[in-house]
Amino acid sequence: MHDPSDTSDASDSLMDENLASAATAQAAEPLGADEFQALLVGVLPTAYGYALRLTRNRSDAEDLVQDAALRAFKARESFQVGTNFKAWIFRILTRCFWANHRRRQRRPNTVDFDDTPDLYLYARSAEHGLQWQGEDPAHALIERLGTERVAEAIGQLPEEYGVVCTLYFMEDFAYHEIAEVLEVPVGTVRSRLHRGRKMLQKALWCLAEEMGIVTELSQREVTA
Amino acid sequence: MTHLSRYTCEEAFRRLDDYLDRELSEEETSLVREHLEICAGCAREFTFEESLLRGVKDKLRQIDLPPSLQARILGVLGKER
Repeated sequence: MHDPSDTSDASDSLMDENLASAATAQAAEPLGADEFQALLVGVLPTAYGYALRLTRNRSDAEDLVQDAALRAFKARESFQVGTNFKAWIFRILTRCFWANHRRRQRRPNTVDFDDTPDLYLYARSAEHGLQWQGEDPAHALIERLGTERVAEAIGQLPEEYGVVCTLYFMEDFAYHEIAEVLEVPVGTVRSRLHRGRKMLQKALWCLAEEMGIVTELSQREVTA
Repeated sequence: MTHLSRYTCEEAFRRLDDYLDRELSEEETSLVREHLEICAGCAREFTFEESLLRGVKDKLRQIDLPPSLQARILGVLGKER
């Protein structure tokens, strides 16, 4: 993965160089413009969803997807027909994000993720008596938090974990596909995902407490 | 499968993420599943984690592509052709 701490603008030429070298290595059947367009249309909804989670802003997400689509189109001959087009597009989109669309000012994180234990949400919900019969406590928490708060929780993760978790939760990518998108070893994906999930559980719990969801569910337990 | 090959709680838990993500081998998957059938505590934990993952995935995937975006992008690509 490109180093998220590098805030300098990655040059377009470097990205084009990378894509060109990939083309040399994989020169097989070039992807035609019409074929490219057909494949692109199929992945646009998920690419936009991924971009929106990365940028957290609809306008920026649209620009990011357009930027990535244009770069991919120009480099379409580097795509080997029959391989994973979606992973290829997502890799270009991720590179574009690091290079040109990443926000300089990240949202301040108020959650301390150090040493978050395994099964954090399970343990906390048990402590607060949320594991009542008849309703799945994990489902109850997520439903009450809603889409925007769940997205906000992912947004609180340190960037290298947040990107892996975004790819994991938004797509049906296997570990090796996430590794392909982010250009890191599979072992790195596995470890970041494991840690990222724990962090996410803590972030979700903190949001649920802030919103009064924990209290609401605890009281419901008592009065049920 | 012999009794000796069964996973302990610790061994099963170590494979929780990979099990839920279907990243284990068939043999490991069977061993985890077998453990969950005989261990109610681990089964509760695995079920909770599975439900949580499913819930987060469902929420995050509720995004619609803006109607104009596809046309805008195809228009840009058209100029490049």
